[in-house]
Amino acid sequence: MARFVLRRVALLLAVLFAVTFLGFAAMNLLGDPLVNVVGVLAELDCDAIEAGTAEDTTVDAASRDCDTVAAARAEYHLDRAVPVRYGLWLGDMATGDFGTSFQNDQPVSQVIREKLPETVILLVMAQAVALGLAVPWGVLAAYRANRAFDRGSTVASFGLLSVPNFALGVVLLYLLALRWQIFPSAYESDSVSGLLFSMVLPALTLGLPLAASYQRLLRTDLITTLQEDYVHMARAKGLPPMRIMFRHALRPSLFSVVTVFGVSTGTLIGGSLVVEQIFGIPGIGREIVTAVIRDDFPVVLAIVMVVAVTFVVLNFLVDLLYSWLDPRVRAR
Amino acid sequence: MRRLGFCFWLAVGWLAMMALVATFAPLLPIADPTEVAFGGPREAPSADAWFGTDALGRDVFSRTVHGARISLAVGGFAIVFGMVVGGGLGILAGYFRGRLDQGVGFVFFVLLSFPALVLAILITATLERSLLVVSLTIGILAVAPVGLLSRASTLVFAEREFVAAARVLGATHGRIIVRELLPNVVIPMGALTLLGMAVAVVAEGSLAFLGLSVAGDNAISWGKMIVDGSGLRDLQNAAHVTMFPVAVMFATVLSLNFAGDRIRQHFDVKELAF
Repeated sequence: MARFVLRRVALLLAVLFAVTFLGFAAMNLLGDPLVNVVGVLAELDCDAIEAGTAEDTTVDAASRDCDTVAAARAEYHLDRAVPVRYGLWLGDMATGDFGTSFQNDQPVSQVIREKLPETVILLVMAQAVALGLAVPWGVLAAYRANRAFDRGSTVASFGLLSVPNFALGVVLLYLLALRWQIFPSAYESDSVSGLLFSMVLPALTLGLPLAASYQRLLRTDLITTLQEDYVHMARAKGLPPMRIMFRHALRPSLFSVVTVFGVSTGTLIGGSLVVEQIFGIPGIGREIVTAVIRDDFPVVLAIVMVVAVTFVVLNFLVDLLYSWLDPRVRAR
Repeated sequence: MRRLGFCFWLAVGWLAMMALVATFAPLLPIADPTEVAFGGPREAPSADAWFGTDALGRDVFSRTVHGARISLAVGGFAIVFGMVVGGGLGILAGYFRGRLDQGVGFVFFVLLSFPALVLAILITATLERSLLVVSLTIGILAVAPVGLLSRASTLVFAEREFVAAARVLGATHGRIIVRELLPNVVIPMGALTLLGMAVAVVAEGSLAFLGLSVAGDNAISWGKMIVDGSGLRDLQNAAHVTMFPVAVMFATVLSLNFAGDRIRQHFDVKELAF
């Protein structure tokens, strides 16, 4: 086990290195980094302005802008060679200094701290919805496999998996919030209960397709487990079917669901970008889209890095958890 | 020979129709999709405008038809790119093993370490959002899943007798890869094209929904139509503006998934791990 963990940690570090380098490369090699950071200000001829030779009448404003450009150069170490710059930037990121948004002069770390909780609440609720629906749904489908309910649920989950989540979000918003007015149509933050209630629709949007895919996996595994000798044994002893289902068969059938849990979180993060947009939730998904449209690259990069690093670490943990649950995996 | 069934042909029929309509959209006798005030704003569906009109009075039917162009073009290009680059890298990695395999495997692993949509945003954030850039971006997302699959299936075939026989007869690596492995690996993967295309169409739709797909007023896309009509007032008063593109997109993705799944079962290929 120790060797396995060590190998995994080495891989984790290598991947983190590569992921951060890709982000850094996107900012520094695709286009001029200065333009990426400060936008049009990068075109100012600051040397001329400082020397007083610029023909501009608004030299005051221009020199203020030049201060911004100089600050950006210092912040992102733009005077240094690319490999050095990467090292310094990585050090800044690791110590929580994500730079400054030059569009509104806020430290990026503060932006993330404000927006992250909303997204995390949304993701947790979505996973809760997905698991909460998938377990009874999968159990019922497997209990009478290939009967009417199972057939119907196969069609339903196939359909659910074919709805793009932005389309599902808009349809749910239309039906449940506008037409029948069961749920609020927009984000509320007045009270905790109001907040959670307004998050139900977004969580359903993300959770329903995920529930469908969990259900498929759970159903298949349950059907296999139900063929095991010890289940026949329990049945022969006369235990009630639902007790066999939940006490004997369910737990060993959850492996596949655990395996895709990590990967599905990535899908959910992608989905939350869209869902936050539909329901007006002020989370990091909405923030990154706004930042892309405003060309606020420091914010985009910081959010991408936070999300990617979280995702990598989460998958690492799921991997460890899985190998702890099922020792055969370690031999890979 | 297993039968593919009526629903399969229904799905294929729908897809063929979408492909035809998308290709010949400019020649069809329908309204100009960009013509403002073709009718009044937010008119309900009628004989003139089958899907009604949107907030600017543009014909929703015509826009839906034209929207198929970008969605299908991006989806098709992306999956072909994924097949060529990912499939090629996978075969090379699976055949030569060793260092190359480790390197390629690591690249795939890193690509899969980003949530797909987040990686797409990182790429499109700094570049001009042209049709080519968006297609390439989504194509890059397809590289790793396709590559992992082609590597796995190459590993299996490289052990088979006919490959050993070719090697004994003195075939070069290039010949073995092209003549022996490629047909065996690519044909089963071809069965997954439609499934992959479904994922790509949804990815393009998501980008468009976020306003990050192909830029420009003439770039009509289903995702963009859906977001344009999804403001609360629009939904309340003129739900048809959103619901028609939603329905057409759903039918298309469902057909791709259904037909793709049938073909996959027919050729008995393992599922793609997107």
